[in-house]
Amino acid sequence: MPSTDEELVARSMGGDLDSFNQLVLRWERPIYALAYRVIGREEDARDVAQETFLRAFRALKGFKGQAKFSSWLYRITLNLCRDWIRRERRTPLVQAPEGVDVIELAGEETPSETVEQLVARHELGRAVAKAMSQLPEEQRTAIILKEYHGLTFQEIADLLDCPLSTVKTRLYQGLTVLRKQLREAGVESTFGK
Amino acid sequence: MCDSKELLVSYLYDEIDPVAKRSFQKHLATCAECRDELAELGATRAQIATWTPPDADLGFRIIREAESPKRRWFQWSPAWGFAAAAMVLVAISAAIANLDVRYGSDGLIVRTGWNHAIEAQARVTPVDWKAKAEELDRRVRDLEQAPSQPSVVRTASGSELSEPRVREIVSQSEARQQRLVTARLTEIMREYDAQRRLDLATIGQGMTRLQNSNGAELKQTKDLLQRYFVRTALEEKEEK
Repeated sequence: MPSTDEELVARSMGGDLDSFNQLVLRWERPIYALAYRVIGREEDARDVAQETFLRAFRALKGFKGQAKFSSWLYRITLNLCRDWIRRERRTPLVQAPEGVDVIELAGEETPSETVEQLVARHELGRAVAKAMSQLPEEQRTAIILKEYHGLTFQEIADLLDCPLSTVKTRLYQGLTVLRKQLREAGVESTFGK
Repeated sequence: MCDSKELLVSYLYDEIDPVAKRSFQKHLATCAECRDELAELGATRAQIATWTPPDADLGFRIIREAESPKRRWFQWSPAWGFAAAAMVLVAISAAIANLDVRYGSDGLIVRTGWNHAIEAQARVTPVDWKAKAEELDRRVRDLEQAPSQPSVVRTASGSELSEPRVREIVSQSEARQQRLVTARLTEIMREYDAQRRLDLATIGQGMTRLQNSNGAELKQTKDLLQRYFVRTALEEKEEK
């Protein structure tokens, strides 16, 4: 049975480097994904993820367990992303065409999804990325934490230091704007049904 | 209830207490506007779920006890460079000229090392150089020829320092200054070396980024070509 985050954190605090690396392995994908969706640049997102774990490791002794370890990581990541946006003085920009590699997609083909459907899904993903990049930072962050990381309203409120009602308002406004932009981009709302 | 978007969002994400949920469901049964909005927001959620980040080669690993970034006692800058150079010059000058012997109206003043190290001051009767130069010269020669009566320097506090003792103090002071200069030079060299390594690392990262950006351009070109081929194939298919 795999160890819980709390157990690994406790062992890491006792100087067990392997335990900390297990935490890194467990959380590096979600942290990278969070950074990528917030700042929209693959290379910088990787740097942010790496810096997140370095900072976490250095500050581990100061982690009192008042929040979940993952929430603590998310907070570090969001702070780094905010620094990045401020430093670059620009809004997040989703990288130019990720490209649709039909050869690669053919390998992903499943009995339930043809290559055409896979291409459509990738195209939709790009449209979503573009629409997300145009949202205000607060709304985008709230939607990312909710939709892709499954945090509760309360967890998001704690992370963003804002009231619960503000989180719900940001989510509603963000989803409404996304719906409008995707419709304007010609994306079928029946996708996924 | 239609105005309560918070309630709508709570229901959408199913983070709502059971009582409020039942109440909202009753409302939905009679409000087409809320039903439509809920359905559309649900569809938008399904759409945004398709956005996945590109695969990245991660594999982070802390391979050693990461040293907490030692706060450097100073940040390297040209100003610090000039200051350090000035300090070296001062230190070297002090080491070379750490013995200062002066005659003045107050008599003989002996300074060694830094100004505060040793200050021996002897009060002697002022001498009329012009009139008694020869007499003084003779007395000095007499003193040199009489080892049994070593010269004595009287300090301001009244205590006496013999000539060998003064030489010993001067010698100790010189050695101390040399140690200080050596330590300072070593420290400066260490800082210089650290800065050089940092600059090299920065240049290396820059080169890597440059290479990566070239790779990205190639990938972009490849993607464009691929999309062109797909489009052409689809058009041909449609024509048939």
